[in-house]
Amino acid sequence: MSTTQHASDGRFPGGGIIASGLARSFGPVQAVASMDFSAPPGQVTALIGPNGSGKTTLLLMLASLLRPDAGTISICGIDPVERPRDVRALLGWMPDTLGVWEALTAREILTTVGKLYGKDAAAARERADELLDLVKLGGYAHQPARVLSRGQQQRLSLARALVNDPAVLLLDEPASGLDPGARIDLRNLLRRFAAEGRTVVVSSHVLSELDEIADRAVFVSTGRTIREQSVDEAGAQSRRYGIQGLDVRALMEALGKAGVRYGLPESQRRNGVTVQLASEAEAAALLRTLVSAGVAVTAFAPASGALEETYLSTMSSNGEAER
Amino acid sequence: MSTTMEQGRTAPGTPDGPRLGYLSGILTVFELEMKQRIRSRAWYVMLAVWFAVIALVTGLAAYTAGFDEGTGQVMFELVVGFVLFFGFLVVPALSANSITGDRAGGTLAILQNTLLTPGQIVLGKWLAAWVAALGFLVAAVPMIAWAMSYGDVYLPAVPVFLLLAAVELGIACAIGVGVSARSNRPLFAIVASYLLVALLGLGTVIAYGLSYRLVESTAVVHTQVFPNDPWSNVEYDAEGRVLGEDGEPLNSAEEQAFFEEIDRKYQDPAIDTEYYVCSSQGGVQPVFHTERITWLLAANPFVVVADAVPQRERDPESWGAEGPMAAISQGVRMSQAGPAATTPCLDGVKREPTDLSGQPPIWPLGLGLQLLLAGGLMFSGRRRLATPAGKLATGTRIA
Repeated sequence: MSTTQHASDGRFPGGGIIASGLARSFGPVQAVASMDFSAPPGQVTALIGPNGSGKTTLLLMLASLLRPDAGTISICGIDPVERPRDVRALLGWMPDTLGVWEALTAREILTTVGKLYGKDAAAARERADELLDLVKLGGYAHQPARVLSRGQQQRLSLARALVNDPAVLLLDEPASGLDPGARIDLRNLLRRFAAEGRTVVVSSHVLSELDEIADRAVFVSTGRTIREQSVDEAGAQSRRYGIQGLDVRALMEALGKAGVRYGLPESQRRNGVTVQLASEAEAAALLRTLVSAGVAVTAFAPASGALEETYLSTMSSNGEAER
Repeated sequence: MSTTMEQGRTAPGTPDGPRLGYLSGILTVFELEMKQRIRSRAWYVMLAVWFAVIALVTGLAAYTAGFDEGTGQVMFELVVGFVLFFGFLVVPALSANSITGDRAGGTLAILQNTLLTPGQIVLGKWLAAWVAALGFLVAAVPMIAWAMSYGDVYLPAVPVFLLLAAVELGIACAIGVGVSARSNRPLFAIVASYLLVALLGLGTVIAYGLSYRLVESTAVVHTQVFPNDPWSNVEYDAEGRVLGEDGEPLNSAEEQAFFEEIDRKYQDPAIDTEYYVCSSQGGVQPVFHTERITWLLAANPFVVVADAVPQRERDPESWGAEGPMAAISQGVRMSQAGPAATTPCLDGVKREPTDLSGQPPIWPLGLGLQLLLAGGLMFSGRRRLATPAGKLATGTRIA
């Protein structure tokens, strides 16, 4: 179970998401067994878990599309089961399926969705052009969506989720199919939304990316929330570091003298060692020791991203790790 | 990254919050649907095939009816009947994929996640399917005009025919969209829509036919005697030879002259050969109380259209109908009237000349039944689209 506090209304006065005790099954399949989830405004919350862990089902419940069998949800203080339309006015949802109308042009799709949020035709068109520039699809405004590449359709889908200027953004695998440039744009965009005070929830498999986007992470597995953690906490925890030197033997001797246990990585390309260190302070101290012992260190860095570290340790303790 | 997001938003649920008008929501869904339909090539191919088929039917009808003046009514009724028939073949294909297709493509959940209500989605989709179906009716108009060019069409019938054909296509579209909203698989939706439409078009007739035994009873029917009909007064001997007035068989020359005389009398307009009386002799015969099962036919689209269309004033004793639609209408009204109106000497009582137009029209009942079916399916489809969704069929994803 999560280590953080649980739903008390008014915890996030500026909006945000609080969900507790959520359960949802599809026939005999218990997609979500017991999930608590919170996402404060002004932060990017990552939703992390293996395939089939209930991430998409959770997002569908948060997006007011699926009724939970049990539990409560509050989106900016509104219950999506009781008042779905009020929640939808505030919500931007980007599904993991692309869902574009292929015969329509990018601009028409955004204009239509704008109208469905109650905008008049002129305002909807203006908003569509604004968003096409935002996701850098301005040059494709008059192309039918079917000719767009997967990454472009993904950006169009993101733009569609932003049509109503949402206070809460739910993004299911937004980075899949994006080229590196578009991933950087997405990261900057999400950071900006958070800075503007919006609540941003991102589910993703690309953990290294989430380190840079997310402020905090919620880990789910087999339909349960198993951990909530801020990225700062994740960085402060005990983690593995990879060390490489010009002379690996000298490096290993110096580590032996310092009394640090090390391992030889099996799958790394270069020669080096990995060590488990309790904190960043300990890492800094070890580096100082090595350098003063005259070891020529060429690389000294965390072996994996902070969230990846948590993911692997959490999932292995749950017997669920995918690799 | 040139633009900025709008800042300063209004709270939801307040009067200043975003609002989507009921009608504008429907119209936006309609517009979205129509854009997709108009841009698909399949639509134009179907229209072209449709046009060719109706042209072929009209041409054949013209050939069959002859190129005489005055056959316009038959031609018109024939062509409108075929337009209706082919319309029912096309419409389920036009409407039954409108929601299942979106479900499969992942765009339905996107619509559901906007301010649209389920009712707006269903009505917008239905309106688009109906307008697409009306396109087929419009494409048939030149052929209808061609049929009418043969003259002598009862003009008040024309707008009613077209209006009712449009209404019937709308009902078929509602069936398709309703089924589509309920089902998860496009193929199932299309097959189910075809079956429901066939239930109206063919099922009603089959049910009517099969119910005949249920309304069978017996009645005493006296034989008819036609005193003025020269043919009915001819006597024959045991070997089938015609007997003369003296009771002796005629030879062939006499027989020839005798028949010519009878034929002359029969053709004489001064003699009412149709006049009959009921004899005192009768027997027990089966009769069918079709008036009890005619309602089964009411929901048939062809019956509704044929029965609602105004017809020219006609001789109440004449049994001939002008065209196929008039024939359907007349047949249904006779069925409504039952054996009392169709058996000449029931219980030895001579049947009064029946004015079938005195029967109450059956089309309001039929239209009501159809609207009940179509409306029920649309309503149930609307419920299925309501979110947050409760039950889901196994194996379906909402997004």
